[in-house]
Amino acid sequence: MASESMNEIERFQDGNARFLSHNKTTFQIDRREELHNKFFSFLGRSFLLGVTTISSLAVLFIFFFILRDSILFFQQRDIREFFFSTQWFPSRDPSEFGAGAIFWGSFLVTAGACAFAIPIGIMTAVCLSDILPFSARQILKPLIEILAAIPSVAYGFFALVVIAPLLQERGGQVLSYLIWLLGAPLAIFFLIIGEMSADKLFPKAKTAANFIITGALILLEFLVLYTLSRHIFLFKISSGTNALNASFILGIMILPTIVSVSEDALQSIGRELREGSYALGATRAETLLLVVIPAASPGILSAVILGIMRAVGETMVVWMASGNSAKIPDPCFNFFEPIRTLTATIAGDMGEADHVSGSMRYHVLFAMAACMLIISFSLNIASEWIMKRTRKKVTGE
Amino acid sequence: MNLAGRKLLDKAFTILGMLSSGFLVIAIIILLTPIFMKGIGAFVFRATIEYRKMELDLFERGDREELEKEIKQAESARSPLFEKLKNFKEGISNFPPAEKKRLSESFHDFEMCLRELLGPFPGESVPELPRNKYGATRWDQALIKLKSVLYKEEYDYTNPSKMGQKIMKPRSKEFAGTSLENLFPYLEQNMEKILQPKFVFYRQFLTDASKDAHFFGGIGPEVIGTIYLTLGAIVFAVPMGILTAIYLTEYSRQNWYTSILRTLISTLSGVPSVVFGLFGLAFFINSIHVSQSKSVIAGSLTLALLILPTIVRSSEEAILAVPKTYREAALSLGASPWKMIVSVLLPAALPGILTGIIISMGRAAGETAPIIFTAAVSLGEAPKLLDIFSQPTPALSWNIYNLATEHQKVDQIRHVQYGMVFSLIMIVLSLNCLAIMLRSRFVKKLKG
Amino acid sequence: MKHFPVQVLMVLMCCFPVFGGEATAVDSKITIDGSTTVGPIAKAFAEYFMNRNPQLKITVAESGSGNGAKSLVNATCDIADMSRFMKNEEIKAAVDKGIIPVSHVVAMDGIAMIVHPANPVKNLSLDEITGIYLGKITTWKELGGPDEKIVVISRDTNSGTYEAFEELALKKQKMTNSVEYVGSNGAVRQRIQSTVGAIGYVGLGFIDNTVKAISVAGIEPTRETIVSGKYPIARPLFMFTNGYPKLGSDVYQFVTFNFTLKGQEIIDGLGYVAVTQYQK
Repeated sequence: MASESMNEIERFQDGNARFLSHNKTTFQIDRREELHNKFFSFLGRSFLLGVTTISSLAVLFIFFFILRDSILFFQQRDIREFFFSTQWFPSRDPSEFGAGAIFWGSFLVTAGACAFAIPIGIMTAVCLSDILPFSARQILKPLIEILAAIPSVAYGFFALVVIAPLLQERGGQVLSYLIWLLGAPLAIFFLIIGEMSADKLFPKAKTAANFIITGALILLEFLVLYTLSRHIFLFKISSGTNALNASFILGIMILPTIVSVSEDALQSIGRELREGSYALGATRAETLLLVVIPAASPGILSAVILGIMRAVGETMVVWMASGNSAKIPDPCFNFFEPIRTLTATIAGDMGEADHVSGSMRYHVLFAMAACMLIISFSLNIASEWIMKRTRKKVTGE
Repeated sequence: MNLAGRKLLDKAFTILGMLSSGFLVIAIIILLTPIFMKGIGAFVFRATIEYRKMELDLFERGDREELEKEIKQAESARSPLFEKLKNFKEGISNFPPAEKKRLSESFHDFEMCLRELLGPFPGESVPELPRNKYGATRWDQALIKLKSVLYKEEYDYTNPSKMGQKIMKPRSKEFAGTSLENLFPYLEQNMEKILQPKFVFYRQFLTDASKDAHFFGGIGPEVIGTIYLTLGAIVFAVPMGILTAIYLTEYSRQNWYTSILRTLISTLSGVPSVVFGLFGLAFFINSIHVSQSKSVIAGSLTLALLILPTIVRSSEEAILAVPKTYREAALSLGASPWKMIVSVLLPAALPGILTGIIISMGRAAGETAPIIFTAAVSLGEAPKLLDIFSQPTPALSWNIYNLATEHQKVDQIRHVQYGMVFSLIMIVLSLNCLAIMLRSRFVKKLKG
Repeated sequence: MKHFPVQVLMVLMCCFPVFGGEATAVDSKITIDGSTTVGPIAKAFAEYFMNRNPQLKITVAESGSGNGAKSLVNATCDIADMSRFMKNEEIKAAVDKGIIPVSHVVAMDGIAMIVHPANPVKNLSLDEITGIYLGKITTWKELGGPDEKIVVISRDTNSGTYEAFEELALKKQKMTNSVEYVGSNGAVRQRIQSTVGAIGYVGLGFIDNTVKAISVAGIEPTRETIVSGKYPIARPLFMFTNGYPKLGSDVYQFVTFNFTLKGQEIIDGLGYVAVTQYQK
């Protein structure tokens, strides 16, 4: 390909030379040729600049349209009612637009998804970048991309058709299994504590003390877990489409985002930091925990923010799997009750976005969209700023 | 902490890491396995004779003489059934009135279930709705319907502190002592002869239109609709995206204006998809009236906005990844910047750009929220090229939601829902695999 | 019911070409939007007509009665399916834009209260239903059933079924906010089918053997009780067009199909009640 273009350039220059040799004053033609070229290149550049500006204008258009129509809502209705009241009755007469419960629903589902996805995501990213052998990485990375590529409506379908009946019919069982799953990392934690405390408290009879303390802690843990799971086994979840369902599936959806961006951040640190730490005698875990992760923390933070952004903006999964009940659960962190999110409300009521009757119904959706835009925008800016700082730090050093 | 503790911590950390990665893998398996298994069930299944009858009537496919032979065989197995039914109906007046009432109610119920299994009885008028014209078309559905024929589902409400418990009462007990009693074991044993199931590979699932609200037929219009929407989005987004990327990498100076442009484009990538849908409805349809109402082109434009930032970003990365030597070589030979871009840079960056385009295609095919109110309907024909300005279209992503929640008989078309999800995931995954393969070739090529 | 005779009168009036509006869209394309209750009827009719006439293209969307009305007013659809009559504001907005809505009754439908088959409750009075939806009654124990929480399911607010239910059963009072909203009849049925303690309301055509329809004030929702007007929560289903469709045009045939024998057979087959007391 390079040789072809070289030939083209040669031919071009050849023709140019022939053209020049056939003419009277080289000087004038050079200038005309030059102006010709300059004009076209200017035209081309302006065209490109125009196209780029149009691409960028798209987002300004979106902001303008959404904010314009939402301001009409805020002019006519009380802002405090919108944000703090939980009475959502848009079609009644007189209509009430209290979206407080809906904001809380969005927050709850996002918090649940993050609580679940952030630890697992960061651990997986660390594992991918530092612990797993290269062959395992080759397999795992495409798998993560597959998880990222699955459309959200397929996740929603899965949540509705497989997970909701499961929670409904066997909610207690599922929860008790989950409790046992949590037990495994806890056991490891207790092992470490046992070791450390045996060392501090009984330096003489270390092994025996270690055995006894660890054994006691783990036994205690098993007992607690067993009784808990026995109780929970009989627990009945009244509604399979609830905040837990939506949070769980949302968590799985944002895992690939967190993992891939964190892994990029971890990779970009470079080997010197790690090698230095190993050279000083640190174990791999200590290197990772005390050196690598803190060094990559801006990148990881940025990954987490991107994950939050994705969870807040997700529509289909929450529309299908969260129950759509505009009510703050009781107590407010009860994940087993249905909730409603901003995105599901917009999608469900979107047909009202016509200029015909209830103008406030139309504008309240834009008000919600405006809030979502502002939240995503600020999260985006925060993430970009953090990335820029990292780049400066890395290149500055 | 002493050495042993540190080593333990190390091991523990490794195990935790492995557990997390293992969880990821298990999540993928749990997610995809039921969808794949049941989705393939929409393509490959045991089809009964009713299915072949339906195929011949509605789609004009199949061997008529073969079918006639099979119908004769099936009828020879069915005729004792109908004989017994006829005898029962004639003999029912011989019972005392209380018995008669109970028997005729049970019989009516039983007949309805039998009609669902075998189709309309011989001698009855053919109903108009296609779903009532034929019996069970899939063998797995036939078995479920057989169960409802043989057993009546009742609930035992005797325990006042709990909800009713389901019990399956055999219907033969209701007709004990009448001529229908030995019909039930006969039915159970001769099911295969009556329905003649055979394995079939329904490869036209992806091209057939749906008949009677997805009861029969395939998902052709939805697939074509998704293809149209995706291609339309690409047509609008790719030229703009590549030109923008070229400008941002080659021509722009690093001043405040460019960084604002960059920020704006990356903000676009953070906008939630439902806001795109709202904007598409409010702007493309209501303000500049790209079309009268929903249409393919409004949906494509909205989707194009959605994938624009991805294309810009991946094209930028691809162009930046081309080594400087390529550019300098071309420029040093006297090519103008534009010529250098067109003849050297773009071809070298092409695999990377293509990767970005293919991944965006996958994303556009799977998005639902932008097309809910700009392009999607629940029933319609696949649009033809000239209709894209005025006609809305069914699409895989929207119709999955529609069929899974709003349909009248959701349970009976589960296989169609799974088939749709399976097809959508296969389309998106194959696009992504293509992109991954391209990218690995690209990396190999640039590294020399 | 109070509204029944008035609406029947309006419907009879609309059956004659009084308005004399112009024919609607070009015959080769019909766009239909609106209620999810009327949706199955519209889809079955559409398939029948498209089979008979391959040149005809019909698209059916089901986004709710309110959206159907809006589409008709904005002239973005030819036929609007609605499970309630048009509201005054909608008619006013239509006339302001030069659209004259003409209603055609397609079928009769009852709003049936459904519960899970395992639920022993067989009958509820209208007051009890109101109490459940207003949040005053919260467990099945108060209604004679086991001690389980009542999961209340309702249609979303842009639905004609919702508005009909609000008017007929709730007398326009506010629903409690622990109600779960779903987007369509099919979704209500699915929720009830999988949730033992749930109660909801659907159109008659959506009842099958996976849910149990309970009688209201002792009257079961069947064809006979709906046609005779005894069942307290029944309503007609409408299709609205812009002006009276030209005689013989495709739109005309579509909206009057329910008066033909084949149309009534289809409506009956789908589980609705045909307007003319068709007996199989």
